[in-house]
Amino acid sequence: MSRMVEDQRAGIQVSRRGFIKGCTMAAAALGLSETMVPKLVEAATSPKRPPVVWLHFQECTGCTESLLRASHPDIGRLILDIISLDYHETVMAPSGYQAEKSLDDAISGNEGKFICVVEGAIPTKDGGIYCKIAGRTAMDILDDVGSKAAAVIAIGTCASFGGIQAADPNPTGAVGVTKLLSGTPVINIPGCPPNPISFLGTVLHYLTFKRLPRTDQLGRPLFAYGRKNHDQCERRAHFDEGRFVEQFGDEGHRQGYCLYKMGCKGPQTFANCPAVRFNDADVWPVSCGHGCVGCTEPDFWDTMSPFYERLPGVTIPAGGRGIVDAATSKGKVILGAAAGAVGIHAAVGVGKKIFGNNEDE
Amino acid sequence: MFYERHQVWSVLLRLFHWSFVLSIVTLVITGLYIHFPWTNTMVIGNSYFPVATMRYIHFVAGFVFTAALLVRIYLLLFGNAQERFWDFLPITPRNIKNLFKTLGRYLYLNVGHEHRLGHNALAGIFYFLTFLVAAVQVVAGFFMLYPESVFWQKWGTMLFVSQQQGRGIHYLIMWYFGVFAAIHIYIVVWNDIFSRNGLISSIFSGGKYISEDY
Ligand code: HEM
Ligand code: HEM
Ligand code: SF4
Ligand code: SF4
Repeated sequence: MSRMVEDQRAGIQVSRRGFIKGCTMAAAALGLSETMVPKLVEAATSPKRPPVVWLHFQECTGCTESLLRASHPDIGRLILDIISLDYHETVMAPSGYQAEKSLDDAISGNEGKFICVVEGAIPTKDGGIYCKIAGRTAMDILDDVGSKAAAVIAIGTCASFGGIQAADPNPTGAVGVTKLLSGTPVINIPGCPPNPISFLGTVLHYLTFKRLPRTDQLGRPLFAYGRKNHDQCERRAHFDEGRFVEQFGDEGHRQGYCLYKMGCKGPQTFANCPAVRFNDADVWPVSCGHGCVGCTEPDFWDTMSPFYERLPGVTIPAGGRGIVDAATSKGKVILGAAAGAVGIHAAVGVGKKIFGNNEDE
Repeated sequence: MFYERHQVWSVLLRLFHWSFVLSIVTLVITGLYIHFPWTNTMVIGNSYFPVATMRYIHFVAGFVFTAALLVRIYLLLFGNAQERFWDFLPITPRNIKNLFKTLGRYLYLNVGHEHRLGHNALAGIFYFLTFLVAAVQVVAGFFMLYPESVFWQKWGTMLFVSQQQGRGIHYLIMWYFGVFAAIHIYIVVWNDIFSRNGLISSIFSGGKYISEDY
């Protein structure tokens, strides 16, 4: 069946059952009917499927780890299998000059045909010197490889929007792929880490339909990021009914009530976590009693933190304090000042009236 | 003293004013509740939907607010002489002069007073700013209300980037309206007392009284 099943390269193998199960899960995530599953399987096993070059920049390898260590092992293997990886620094055997050669080999002769996956942000400050591989800056490598690719998949929030290294004060000037690359179609699969199914679905969509899935304004595929977590959450009935957790461990928490007051960012976050869930164990943070932190949104480290407050940390106006706090105390000052001004103004007016030199009278 | 009554505000403008006021009061109360739902319940099995109801009222009031704003934008261009924007923005020599006069008057400097039928230029600036802020509030609101609509995503992403930031700005703007209302009501009452032209009743009846002495 698939290449790896046939020759069992690298000792990784996926059973046919696991393979079809994975494709079916991806089809479900994509919203395709089950009659499409054979088409996905066919595309995923076609010998003509495009090679993949996987670039690592400023990152923690968490995205790769989460793919490989999915508790449903077939998904991780399936991904490695389907995408005929020609270059991936974490999992490939060659190193040093051999590794550089594999990159050259994968690209040369394949211009406009291969898929480039980017994991990690790209630092741009001081000429991009804060991330170098084999003597070349990340900017340089992305420019070179990305511009020759048929499409770029930015995996994780770092590659999509800059991630944690782009958090204030962003010392290395880190940015996501879309900020640097033009000319090549780019799709963002943000998340910290993203759900492997969202990545798999995007790849299978590309292999099957020869184009990237439709995206929202931030370049995220709609099949995975088209709806807010809050609108798919199993605790939503508690939200509408006003049953809230006030404190971790309280009665409401033990009853599984809504985490809105604990700072859950589900209402502001587009993702498929409640629908697709993680680790094949049917969990996502809210199902475990913790709010969503909004990891699929741009600048979430700055704008969603502190994670346990309702509307915190929007950096635009309030310089780090959390805007609710800042706005509330500013609001008090402003209202106080307005009241003060009004009071003074009124007092002067009354005073003038008493001393009888008001021209209007 | 002889006063002459002048019709200043059209029915539509007065309708705008009061639907704007009532919707803002409703939006601030329900908005604060959405921001911090101060009720909590352990009751299971009843369906009171307090949060759903508050949000529902907020959204309906949001539509009233939006409609009122659209009416006012229309009147800015096609309303009567006092309602059009060039009558009260400091973009004509007459209005620039009026702006300084008004500032002087509010500082109790005896710079003389020009009686106008419409708004003075200082008030005009703040009303206009309020309409702009209201427009931003509407975009943020609809961005949150229809998160899956491509149209609102375009505007929302352009102005706020993410839902989170849109929400933050929406919340901050709430304070703007609170501050505006406090100062506005004070100034209106002050003018009603010192100008003696029936200013407050003008926003109900549409007419102001100008005395011959001026
Ligand atoms: C003066 C006008 C308005 C004020 C003062 C206001 C106030 C607020 C406040 C304080 C919040 C809570 C934000 C938070 O802290 O989480 C909110 C939420 C919201 N507002 Fe408004 N708002 C106004 C106009 C509008 C309009 C015109 C709309 C559009 C219909 C709208 C739609 C919404 C929506 C959809 C939410 C989020 C509710 C949720 O997801 O639970 N608002 N508003
Ligand atoms: C009891 C409360 C209020 C009274 C008596 C009142 C009275 C008035 C009066 C007399 C005017 C006309 C001023 C002039 O001729 O220059 C006016 C204009 C206006 N008021 Fe109020 N007001 C009240 C509350 C509010 C509130 C709460 C808001 C909004 C937050 C508001 C928003 C406005 C706006 C935007 C205008 C400009 C009208 C226009 O040109 O479209 N008012 N108000
Ligand atoms: S737990 Fe979070 S996502 Fe779920 S209903 Fe409450 S606020 Fe929304
Ligand atoms: S629940 Fe929220 S924070 Fe957690 S993975 Fe999903 S989007 Fe990210």
